[in-house]
Order: sequence, then C-alpha cells, then structure tokens
Amino acid sequence: MQWHDRNKKPREEDEMTVKIRFFARFRELLGTDIVTDVAPGTMFTSLIMTIAQKNPAGYAAIFDDKGTFHEFVILMKNGKRIEIADAAKTPVVDGDEIAVFPPVAGG
Amino acid sequence: MFSERELERYKRQMMLFGEEGQERLKKAHIFIAGAGGLGSPISIYLAVAGVGTITIVDMDVVDQSNLNRQILHFDRDVGRKKTASAEEKLRELNPDITVNAIDVKIEDSNAVNLIGKADGIVDAMDNYPTRYLLNDVAIAKEIPLFHGGIRGFYGQATTIIPGITPCLKCIFPKAPPREVFPVVGVTPGIIGTIQANEVIKYLLGSGELLTNRLFIWDGMEAHAEELCVERNPACEACSGMTATKNPARKTK
Repeated sequence: MQWHDRNKKPREEDEMTVKIRFFARFRELLGTDIVTDVAPGTMFTSLIMTIAQKNPAGYAAIFDDKGTFHEFVILMKNGKRIEIADAAKTPVVDGDEIAVFPPVAGG
Repeated sequence: MFSERELERYKRQMMLFGEEGQERLKKAHIFIAGAGGLGSPISIYLAVAGVGTITIVDMDVVDQSNLNRQILHFDRDVGRKKTASAEEKLRELNPDITVNAIDVKIEDSNAVNLIGKADGIVDAMDNYPTRYLLNDVAIAKEIPLFHGGIRGFYGQATTIIPGITPCLKCIFPKAPPREVFPVVGVTPGIIGTIQANEVIKYLLGSGELLTNRLFIWDGMEAHAEELCVERNPACEACSGMTATKNPARKTK
C-alpha cells in the first residue's frame, strides 16, 4: 500500500485518514483513490454513503433507495472481503484502504 | 507428430516451449463460451497458437453493432450465424486444428454435454447467469474456468481452479443487473488476450496463473492492478469442495 498523501501535513492527535478506491462504473461516477479524514467510530457503510452522495448517479449505482448496498456490490477492506450485512457495523480506522466495485458483466 | 507446415507455423513459439509444449497445445480441447467481444480474441489467439480442438458456442446472429469489437466477424457476415462466421475464420487462420462451432444457447440442460471432455472453459459470456452455470460445470468436472468481463474501458479477469482457488460465486456471489453495456473494442481485446494467455500457460503447465487474484484493467488510466480474492467457506457453489486432480499440468 502506498500512502503518498499522508505525510504531507502535520497530523492531529486523533486524526484518521482512510483511502477509498472505486472501480469500473463506480470510478466513472465518483473518481478513485479518495483520501479522506474520518471521525473515530465511523462505519464502512456511512463512510461510503457520504462519499457517494457527492454524485446522485454514483449513489444510485451503489445504494438502493433504502440506503443499503445493492446486493451485487463487492466491498473490501485492506484486501479482505466485507459482507454487505456486516458493513454498517464495521468500523474504519486510520490507514484502512477500502475498495468498492461492481462485477463487470459484458463480454 | 507435426507436419512440416505445423513445424514452420509454430516455429517462433516453439523457441519458447519446444515441441513438447506445442504437443500439449495440440492435444488440448478448449471450450469457449461465446463468440462475441471476448470470444473473438480468445478464439483467434488460441487457434493460431495451435490449440488442437476448439469448441466455440454462441446462439446469436452477427449484428452491425457488434462489429466495433467482435473482430472475428466482418461486415459481410452481418445476418449470418456467429458460429458459421467463427468457424470459417478460425479454419482459415489455422487449418491444422479442429473447430467445433455450435449454434445453441448454453443452458442447464445442455451445458455438461456441450463442454464434454474439454480441458478448460473460457468465459466469454455477457451475463452472470450463464457464467454461474459455467462455474458449476467447471466445479463438477474439475476443470479450470478462465473468467473475463468488460464494460466500457474497464475489464476484469481471473483464473479459477475448482477446489483450489475461489470460484466465480466466491468472488461475485450476486449478479449485477443486465444492461446494454457500452464498450470499445480494445477492452475485450485486452481482457480476451489475457484469458487466452492464461489458457496457454495452463496447458503448458508453466508460469504463474492469475489464480487467487482478480486482475482489474482501467483503460482510461492505462492502469492494471489486482485484488487478492479468497474462497468463501460458505460459497453455495464450491464450499467443501477439494480438488482431487492435480491442478497444475506440470510434468517437471
């Protein structure tokens, strides 16, 4: 993992940064390699929701109208799979790298 | 044994893997599911490499809108069955191999028989339900599934060895919704070529396969990367399955 951005500024005592990587369609709509500060106790789902809300089409691509991940969305944290059912109660911590992507279906 | 023509045809690649490697390709039977965007480069490269038997299955007719990416089919083929077009081109590319082109929809009822005794399945489909079916047959027969998928400038590929690596359902448990996907021909060109490369390495028994890794291509950034993928112990397709065959065809 590379953290080019982390050392650029002096870090606050309890500052936490995580990196979010989107792939494929999600990347087109939301960009990628988003490094963001998070408050302690932030959960996986709420973090992605906050980021995705910057683009309504990006949000709709990832979440259904109840605010749940579409069932086909793949979630990973530090290279490990996170089940959609667990994401709302999975905290993110300093240095986490998060990947969110759809299966690519065309042939 | 090879004819003079074959020895000449394969000369430059036998510099890499010898007559023994070429023999392995010649004895192999590869099943390609789909003669579209991915199936075109896959079948072309496997044919010219000398994979002895290629079965390619598709149910569609060539449409004008296919031609930006499905390089097996030409303008004159619009309206023809893709299988007829594919068979003709592949035979012209390499008359020393056997091509079975089958015009049928791959379904639960016929998949096992269609795939028969093939040594591997190449996923060149455009939908997940059929991919899951191929995945099930690969697991049942203990043969590899060479997965690829594309959309726009993005693509993904992985090599599945049932019982050893995650299967397609471990990695993608739920299908995304169907759509008319945007695509530019270079993307299936890149991903299909990676799949064909995997098939060749598998048959030769050399190199590092794209196993336990999901290769992800971003053509807009010209950037490739990979994500580690793991078996899901609760996978509905492959949980509890352990390989009984030697997965690698290595004979060191």
